[in-house]
Amino acid sequence: MKARLPSWLMNPESLLIGLGMAFWLIMGKLDHSFLQWEVQQELSTHIWETALMALPMTLIILTGGIDLSIGSIMSLSAVTAGLLHQAGWPMPMGCLAAMVVGMACGWFNGWFITRFKVHPLMITLASMAAFRGIAEGVSQARPLSGFPESFTRMGNDVWLGLPIAGWIFAGSLAMAAWIMHAHRLGRCIHAIGYNEQAARFSGLRVDRMLLGLYTLSGLSAAMAAILFMARRNTAKADIGAGVELGVITAVVMGGVSIFGGRGTLAGVCLGLFLIHETREFVSWHWSRDELNLLALGVLLILSVVFQQLLGHKRAS
Amino acid sequence: MNPSGSKPNVQQAWLSLLRSRTAGLACFTTLILVWMSLWNPTFLAWSNMRDIAVAAAPVCIISCGLMLVLVLGEIDISVGSMMGVLAAAMGAMASASRWHLPPGVAMVGTLILGVCIGAINGWLVAYLKVPSIMVTLGMLTALRGVTEVIMGGQWITDLPPELRYLGTGSWLEIPICLWVTATVVLISLWLIHRSTLGRRIYAIGSHPKAARLAGLPIARTQCLVFAWTGFLTAVATLVSVPQLSVVDSGIGVGMELLVVTCVVVGGTAVSGGIGNLTGVLLGALLMTMISTVLIFMKLGENATYWSKAIQGLFILGAILLEPWTRSRKKP
Repeated sequence: MKARLPSWLMNPESLLIGLGMAFWLIMGKLDHSFLQWEVQQELSTHIWETALMALPMTLIILTGGIDLSIGSIMSLSAVTAGLLHQAGWPMPMGCLAAMVVGMACGWFNGWFITRFKVHPLMITLASMAAFRGIAEGVSQARPLSGFPESFTRMGNDVWLGLPIAGWIFAGSLAMAAWIMHAHRLGRCIHAIGYNEQAARFSGLRVDRMLLGLYTLSGLSAAMAAILFMARRNTAKADIGAGVELGVITAVVMGGVSIFGGRGTLAGVCLGLFLIHETREFVSWHWSRDELNLLALGVLLILSVVFQQLLGHKRAS
Repeated sequence: MNPSGSKPNVQQAWLSLLRSRTAGLACFTTLILVWMSLWNPTFLAWSNMRDIAVAAAPVCIISCGLMLVLVLGEIDISVGSMMGVLAAAMGAMASASRWHLPPGVAMVGTLILGVCIGAINGWLVAYLKVPSIMVTLGMLTALRGVTEVIMGGQWITDLPPELRYLGTGSWLEIPICLWVTATVVLISLWLIHRSTLGRRIYAIGSHPKAARLAGLPIARTQCLVFAWTGFLTAVATLVSVPQLSVVDSGIGVGMELLVVTCVVVGGTAVSGGIGNLTGVLLGALLMTMISTVLIFMKLGENATYWSKAIQGLFILGAILLEPWTRSRKKP
């Protein structure tokens, strides 16, 4: 099957574009109001946090790793900012502290992974529990709110047609694209994903790069937490629960091989778009969140199965 | 202790026991027991001990399965949501206001459903070669969705007395769930130490390539182990859920993490091939005891808030100690 079809048709990006179009057709048939421009614009505010975290996740999965703890890092950063705000710190300082906490969490993950050579999924599964537990313990699971208006405006303001969060994502995307395509680091990330040992033997400083990537992931989670707080004007220890699933699904749907070494940012953006549309459509049309859980989980499994069938598996 | 069947002399055996994770865990558990009993003698009361054992029972049962999954070098983080689905299905089948099937049928149905879900996991991992973390991460979410669909936003409150008896009844002064746990443990011991399947699991986990070259049926073994875990999750659901009078859609949330913690703290290697049941059971006992200790220390609500952090730190600590214990085991 693979040999018969032209290669431009068989890459994940064109498949996703086709899928997206089919999806829109179905959605248009089922519920016309969903495709209105205003509705789409309104709903688009929900995607930016996921999108922001998907960028470092792409790089991490490209190296063959995974980060399950981003949702918990979000909650710990949000709680940090919220508590500091209550303690009378000015909001910008609180946000800065949240980012530092996020980076520290990410660094901690990276340190454990590179130091003990245990698979990242185990470390980040553990730290997922630890970070959220700390957030719950420190905040006593109370909601923290009452942020200044100048802060909440950041979550809702629109500048040149895009919300602030959208601009932050666009900037990060540009940076990620630059790293991937124009910087040495991009090559190194692919090299680690293809064959970590070979990368080590060729003198790449693999550990330092992984440490950097996980720290970056922590930072992006903290930024997502700040955007979330600004949008909702509240911080609570349960924010970001299950967010890692959406992020990972988007990345894997975008054609990034879970074994590392293969994938593009364009694919991830398409994956994000598809996930977003699916999620919003399910809530819009059926207004039932449990169907969303079901859809997301099934989508993740299906996209990995599909990847395998397309022959993206690595010869062991 | 390890199933490879080497015969060290007696002195060496004692030394390795002193250094093993199991012995360390046993000491640690005893220490906590002694410390708690000095602090508050009612901790050692029979009723409290029985409560700890009852709370540990479902964790022990699922750990017996998950340990084998980890020994294979895979992971299953869907057991919590699986428990939710199974509880919802059991409730829906048995409750008079829903399908109103006889309790026996509901029981068997739950067990079969557990095997089926586990087998789907195993099939995806073994035959479609999807990494188990992706399969079970997807399942973790999808099954929670299924649970809520089954529950339909309502609680099930009318479990028949026969099912309630499974959770609350006792035989010879010992709760039913402990008898079930003991049976599961005995079967697992037999499976690990006396059966071909057990040998295969350890062989595949410690060196997949060699196992393949030796012609072991890797895919079938993987599928079987995942299905077995599903079955044990169903057993755990049957003995633990009827303890409560209400089935809601939040049953089993966080269970996957608790079980993974127990298994890893019990000395099972995350990379596969190493793991012994005694350690895992001690791990389960220890983790359950810790939550009781937190309650005894009168931390109030704090206990629930910090318990997750403690679990996470325990896994990290166990991973930290792993190279140390492993180097002692294989000199």
